[in-house]
Amino acid sequence: MIENPYYPIDSVVEDIITETPTIKTFVLKPSRPIKFKAGQFMQLTVPGVGEAPFTPSSSPNVEDKMEITILRTGKVTEALHELEPGAKVGLRGPYGKGYPVDKMKGKEVLIVGGGVGLAPLRSLIYCLIEDASKYKRISIKYGAKNPEELCFKRQYDEWTRAAGNVDFTNTIDVPAPGWNGRVGLVTTLLDDLDIDISDSIAVSCGPQIMLKFVTLKLLDCGYEPPQIYLSMNRKMSCGMGKCGRCNVGPYYLCVDGPDMCYDKIKDIPNVFG
Amino acid sequence: MLFIDSTNFERLLKKLSADGELYVPVLNKETGRLHIERVTEFPLPKEMRLDGFRTVDPWKGAAQMLRCPVANYPDDKSREISEEKFRNVVIVGARACDIYAFELVDRVEIEGEFTDPFYKVRRDKMFIIGADCTECGESCFCNLLGNKPWPEKGYDLNVSSVSGGYIVEAGSDKGKAAIEANKDLFSEARDEQTKHRDEVRSAVLDKLEKQNRAFPRAEEMPDVLRAALTDDVWDEIAAKCVECGACTNICPTCYCFLLYDMKADGEYFQRISTWDSCQVTGYARMAGMLNPRARLTDRVKHRYYHKYDYLVKSHGAIFCTGCGRCIDSCSATIDMRESFKKVSDRVKAGKR
Repeated sequence: MIENPYYPIDSVVEDIITETPTIKTFVLKPSRPIKFKAGQFMQLTVPGVGEAPFTPSSSPNVEDKMEITILRTGKVTEALHELEPGAKVGLRGPYGKGYPVDKMKGKEVLIVGGGVGLAPLRSLIYCLIEDASKYKRISIKYGAKNPEELCFKRQYDEWTRAAGNVDFTNTIDVPAPGWNGRVGLVTTLLDDLDIDISDSIAVSCGPQIMLKFVTLKLLDCGYEPPQIYLSMNRKMSCGMGKCGRCNVGPYYLCVDGPDMCYDKIKDIPNVFG
Repeated sequence: MLFIDSTNFERLLKKLSADGELYVPVLNKETGRLHIERVTEFPLPKEMRLDGFRTVDPWKGAAQMLRCPVANYPDDKSREISEEKFRNVVIVGARACDIYAFELVDRVEIEGEFTDPFYKVRRDKMFIIGADCTECGESCFCNLLGNKPWPEKGYDLNVSSVSGGYIVEAGSDKGKAAIEANKDLFSEARDEQTKHRDEVRSAVLDKLEKQNRAFPRAEEMPDVLRAALTDDVWDEIAAKCVECGACTNICPTCYCFLLYDMKADGEYFQRISTWDSCQVTGYARMAGMLNPRARLTDRVKHRYYHKYDYLVKSHGAIFCTGCGRCIDSCSATIDMRESFKKVSDRVKAGKR
């Protein structure tokens, strides 16, 4: 028998949580447990439609179930959003390196998310919070277009209550009726950072354009390129560094990323597209 | 060194391909060029040729199928894709460039963390009979890569055309076993035959050196490319491209593919892997219509950089064999050698 890496592991959608008008979380139960590290990604198959890459949004410490939080934005995600609990899907993976959790030990971890970009970061947040004493600080900055699009709303308090060294701040892009919180792009949350930058690692996930401005801002704040990790956006298909479409310079995001140290990619022209 | 006459060579091929598929180069009288053809019955096609130079089409399809089913799902033992479904394949007349291409693509598909099982099984079940080039095409530039127009490794058997038959050398255990099992078909090569072979070899190499004298050698190119990363010379090169994707489809070292799913019978689905081209607009496009290489220049550049820079860093070699097929196939007459000369001249001029 051929050991076949293209084969999707049969999985069932156990539950679907509506996070925002455009984002849903799918609770998946694979027919055998899948062990992954925060930041590694899965290829999720909608039978007959195709597969698309997603990083789980659940804790890497839970192996028998997996949550994946998905924005409706293309062919596969449209089909996913139409699914009902009980639907059969497929999973293969995990692929990629995952977040550099070891490098975060003892440091002030700055997590910057935008929109559905908080989904992969939530896996990291769980991973860090479940072991909070190992990190000096876990500081989460999050931005969304409007209050309705804030993902995982019900959990922000849960995260800050989980440990004394966790803080969370969010913002929305433009003012909205009934919103009393901060207004402005997510980069504005980095204006008044009270972090010991020399002892910090920053990770960011969000739209490509946001990553660009977050990076510029972080550099402005005094972060050095080796301290910055970005979830780069490219089409990842095979997950094994073969099919070729996720190239960022000499790297295949699917094996070398998807989170790339900015130091490695900073000299690549148009790296943010 | 051994000799085999044409009649015995045909017998040998018949035996070697008894339980599999046989592919040979056949002269097309209209084009005057060699094309790969499958032999389904003997005698061999009259126009089979193992002299001249490489075939028009690449041999990569023998290892990486143009369209390969890679998974049937959901889980069902009876639908598993098993090794037995892949047949032995004998390829005859692959040239040094073709054989070197297998060696390169093996690095991606077999070596490293993940192995593509379908590529590997095809490679394992492949018997390669290489052949010397007795001429070179106008687009051939294997010498610029430091390679020879005759295979030095990577083959099971290699043949050099001489009067009445071929000088044969074994390059693997499989090849040695094939000779051992068919001893009676071979005789010792005579000195004048090997002398003839060596003369042809050096004449072809000389010709290659002459025709490519004006172009930069491949070993210079990774540094040149790194220096030309933001140069607008690429816009000039890309301006001629018509985005047909011929260069990547015909390239023996282009291995990129597309995975897609389709409905099979009943409640089942099939996943298929098919060749793909980084030169077409939609190749790297993501959901939401985001495209990191939406500009033609970026796609054209990508082909050169992937082969001559990125893969040097990630897999330790330039992924080009100098076969020149991309030059022959280009509807816009883009010549990789000329592109490199242009870029190299530009970089040198900038340094002055």
